[in-house]
Formats: sequence, C-alpha cells, structure tokens
Amino acid sequence: MIKVEKLTNYVKKINYQHLRKKIFGNVTTDGLVFKIFVYLLLIGISYVFVYPFIRMILLSFMSQKDVLDNEVYWIPSKFTLESLRRACEVLGLPRNFKEWFNFKKVFKSSLMNSIKISTLYGLIQTLVAALTGFAFARFKFKLKNFWFAMVIFSFIVPLPVVMVPRIMMFETIQMKVKVLGTIYPQLFLTLFGQGVNNAILILIFYNFFKMIPHSLDEAARIDGANSLQVFWHIFIRMSLSIIVTVFLFAFVWNWNESYMTSTFLRYKIPLLPMNLSIFDSTFSNLYGGSNSAEQIRINESYKMAGTLITMLPLIILYIFAQRQFIEGIERTGITGE
Amino acid sequence: MNNNKKKQIIKAIKSNLGGYLFLAPWLIGFLVFTGIPFLYTFYLSFTNVNQTALGWQIKWNNFENYIDIFFKNTQFLPSLLEFIIMQVLYVPVILVISFILAVLLNQDIKGRAILRTIFFLPVIILSGSVMQQFISSGAANFASINSIFIFHIVSNYSRFFAQIIEVLFVNFTIVLWFTGIPIILFINALQKIDHQLYEATQIDGASWWQILWKITIPMVKSTALVVTIYTIVNLGLYNIRPRQSNITAIYDLIKNALGVTSNGLGYASAYAVLYTIVVFILVGFALLVLRNRDKVKVVESLQERQQKKLAWIQKRNKKKLMKGVNKND
Repeated sequence: MIKVEKLTNYVKKINYQHLRKKIFGNVTTDGLVFKIFVYLLLIGISYVFVYPFIRMILLSFMSQKDVLDNEVYWIPSKFTLESLRRACEVLGLPRNFKEWFNFKKVFKSSLMNSIKISTLYGLIQTLVAALTGFAFARFKFKLKNFWFAMVIFSFIVPLPVVMVPRIMMFETIQMKVKVLGTIYPQLFLTLFGQGVNNAILILIFYNFFKMIPHSLDEAARIDGANSLQVFWHIFIRMSLSIIVTVFLFAFVWNWNESYMTSTFLRYKIPLLPMNLSIFDSTFSNLYGGSNSAEQIRINESYKMAGTLITMLPLIILYIFAQRQFIEGIERTGITGE
Repeated sequence: MNNNKKKQIIKAIKSNLGGYLFLAPWLIGFLVFTGIPFLYTFYLSFTNVNQTALGWQIKWNNFENYIDIFFKNTQFLPSLLEFIIMQVLYVPVILVISFILAVLLNQDIKGRAILRTIFFLPVIILSGSVMQQFISSGAANFASINSIFIFHIVSNYSRFFAQIIEVLFVNFTIVLWFTGIPIILFINALQKIDHQLYEATQIDGASWWQILWKITIPMVKSTALVVTIYTIVNLGLYNIRPRQSNITAIYDLIKNALGVTSNGLGYASAYAVLYTIVVFILVGFALLVLRNRDKVKVVESLQERQQKKLAWIQKRNKKKLMKGVNKND
C-alpha cells in the first residue's frame, strides 16, 4: 500500500511540462523525437549508400564454397584471397605478392598505365583550366559573356553529338599518321581544354581567381610585370591548394572516363577501368566459360573483386584527400550566382 | 583629353589581346572539337556518310535518316523513351532527396563529417564500368521490391503506379549515388542564407515548416537549378536501365551506330541530334520551372503619385501655353 502511494507521489512530482519540452522541444527541431528521427533517417540512407560497397568487399574475400552457400550472406566463414588473385590476373595485374615487388612488371601493368595517363591528362587539364579561368577573371575582352556561356554550353552538350565529327577528324588524320589506338587524340582534346568535365574545372579557377584582390596584380604591373608574370608569380603561387584540388578532380575523372577512351584508345593500351568493362570476355578467354547457375554466382564474386581492385586506388586517394574534394565542389561558386 | 582617350584605347586593346591570349587554348579547342562539330553533326544527320579509301563521302539524302528512325527502326524510339522516363523520374527524386539530406546535415548533428564523406564517396569512385559491374552482378539491388507487402497492394490497385515504384526502387541505391555533388552544393547554399532572416521569422512566430517553405526553399532555388542541370547531364552519362528489359541504352545505341560501316555515321548523327534535342528540352524545362520569378512591383507611395500627377499637369499647361503663343503669332 505504502509503495503504491510512494509511486503515485513520484509520478505526480514529475514536471510534465519539462518532460514534454525535452521530448518534443520548444521548436520542432530541437526535440528528442525529431533528433532520433533525423539520426535514423541519416543512418538508414547511408546504409543504402554503402550497402553495395560492403557487399562487394565481403564477396571478394569469400571462398567459392561461401559464395554458393545460401546461409553465408555477410561474413565469410574463411577469408581467402582467391577471388582477388583471379581478378588481378583478368585485369592484367601481377598475381602474387612476389610479382608485386617485381617493379618492371608492375610498371607495365594496367594499373601503372592508368595512373600515368590520368596524371598526364590531369596536369594538362589543370594548366589549361587555370589559363582559361584567369582570362575570364581578369581581362575585359569582347564577347566575354558569350564565351563564358559557351563554357557552360560545353558542359551541357551531350558527348555523342560532337563525337561523329571528332571521329571523322581523327580518321582522316589516321590515313597519314597513326593516331587512333594511341593516347594522342585525347591528349589533343585535353590540351585544348575539351577534356572530361573541363567546364567545372574552369569554374573552380574562375571563382577562386575572382577573389584575389585587384590591388595585388596592379602593384605587380606598376613594377613592370607583364600578364604572364602576373599569372605565374601571383595567381599560381597564391592558389596552390586549389590547383591540388583541381588536379585531383581531373585525375579522378580521367581515371573514370570510358566513353572517349573506348572510342579513341580502343583498348590498345590496357587501362584498369577499361579492363574491368571487358572483364567477362577476358575471363571466359582465360578460364573458359560455363553457364551453370553456380558458375555465374562464382563469377559474380570475381567481378566484385575486380571492381574492388579498380576502385582501390581512388578510395585510397579519397581517404587522404577528402577535404580537398569536398571543398573543391564548394568552391565552384555556382551556388551563389 | 585626347591623350587620355588614346591611353584608354591602348588599354582596351591590351586587355582584349591579353584576354584572348590566355583564352586561346580553350577557344581553339572549343571551336575545333565542340562548337563546329556540334553544328556539323546537325548537317551530317541529313546525309549519307561513307568512308572510302580517298576520304569521307558525304551525300545529302534529305530526311531519309529521320524517316528511317521514326518509321523503320525499332530500336531507337524505345530507348529514347526509356531515357526520358529515367530522367523524368530520377531527376526530381535526386533533387528532393539531396535537398532533404542537405537540410538534415546542415543541422547540429554528431558525425556530420563522416556522413558527408559517405555521401560524397560515389562521386569519386563511380565510372561507367564500375556501375555496369554493380548492376549486372545485382549487388546494387538493395531489396527485391516484389517481396514487400505494400507493393502488392499498390500493384493490385493500379499497374501504372506499381511500375513507377518499381522503376524507382530497383535502382534506388544507384539513384542515391547521384546525390553526392548536389548535397554539397545544397549545404553550401544553405550556409549562405543569412541567419538574421531565420531569427526574424522565428520572432514573428513562424514554425519550422513555414520557415522551410517561405525562406529556405526560395533561397536555394538557384542552386536547385544548377543541381537539376548537373543531374540531367550526369545521368545521361551512365547506362542505367530504369526497367529490367533488354532495351539498349541510348548511349550504347549511338556508340554501336558509330561502328557500322555503311552510313553508320549518318545514322549516329541523327540519333545524336534527337538525343541532344531531348536533353535540351529537359534542361529548358528545368529552367522554366526553377527560374527566378521576380514579382517585385514598385509600389508608389501617395506622395510620389501626387508628384507625378503634378508634373504631368505642369507639362500639359506648358504645352497649352506654347500653343496659345503659337496662335497669337
């Protein structure tokens, strides 16, 4: 009896208003219910985001037996490197740990090809984008607005519509000099500012250069510097961080590019993402294909291992440079204007 | 005075010269590789293009390519339709989801940095071939929609809505992956909104919901436009099939046509032209919906109106006076 009385007393003592405020909040947004809802939503969505990646990583460490076993879905019963090894072979990479230390072989592999070509294109793209951004940010010239609109136009226009004349152009050159199947077509395109997503890179530079105070380059000009010197000694020196960001983006986009690469390079130089896109045919050439349901499921785990390997360099890059990537997009400045 | 003018002209010439000098690489590239080819493709789409030992043989054939595409070819129209369905369904979804996520991430939340990192990750690692592997291996199939009870109810009620839901959920993960850059852009736009605006409305007693609709959404409208255009362009680059059918994706269709020897290029350019027109219509539609409608009318105060009236009367009187003077002459 006494206990119940105590309890009712206790219940009476609770400040309901206070409790209600804590749960539902003064304004909807600072209540506990709302917070929990937000967290659940965010966690749920990020789970959907990363679900395929987690599945990919775990699948590529599973043994064949685990892949076929319906009871094993997430955690493999035994971690093996078998699928990764096979995928390495299909993608044109060294198979064993020993071969990974054979630098001559690694240097000729598709991984190194991809790194080399993406770096080359990335550097050129960065330079050209910087020049273009500088022109738009600091000079007044006729048709400036028109050309600026054209930068945006070149982003919107779909690639296929400019592809036919480009192919005809290079095919015509092909009759005299061999260019298709080499890196030169894309090299020309990037050199003249028509690389992957070049418009975005120009916008990043343009917005950054606009923020540099005019007094700086005026002072340099009074001291007798010409435009090129102003560009090099002031603008490039001051924007090293943004240059790194732009280069990283250009690198990643060139790495991931497949449309132009497949039309112009034509699989003549093995690249990692290109090898991934022809994974199936290479695989059946190497190991022979059988179409049983079991084999298809096992092949899926190989494919996932191959995808993981292709992504791995970019993931490593992202881990170290995520701040630059995110800030780079923030600095395009296309949000404000 | 004269000297000054000369100096100004010299300065203008120098500025023009400098500007075009720095612009030159991009400008040449744009004209040679993008601008002129763009127009040239329109011309090519009305021709028969064949490769011979001597070079390219281009023959005008009126509208034959287009007639073939619309009345004989069975491949193009379905895949174009598929493309339009994909854009119309996915773009609004991406827009809304990325806006909601940006609003949520813009609050004081623990683990914001990690969440932002996760949401941005697909931007870095997604490529055509990676996407293709994910789709073909089924790893991106988050949940089989047919096993959800509500779906059956909807399906019994209306086949059409069921199809739409199916289209959305079959590739739901992949649709989410396109929100990476939009989220960052939206967060950036949200942070630029003046805090005083929020405070002022809160003092006036606006609820969270009202603030969202009356302040936040109008303020990020220009960003929404950028995001929409970016998404339209970006979605086109990937070969996502909204329905699990064997319709060739339009990008592949054009690419396959490039490889055909007899008049492949003529067809390819006609395909590409139609595809481009559709993309431009979509972008134009986005511009139409999300443009800034400035409805600011200048409301004249009473004083101003009176002054105007007064000025008008004075002017009239002056004219009358002048007329009178003329008559007297």
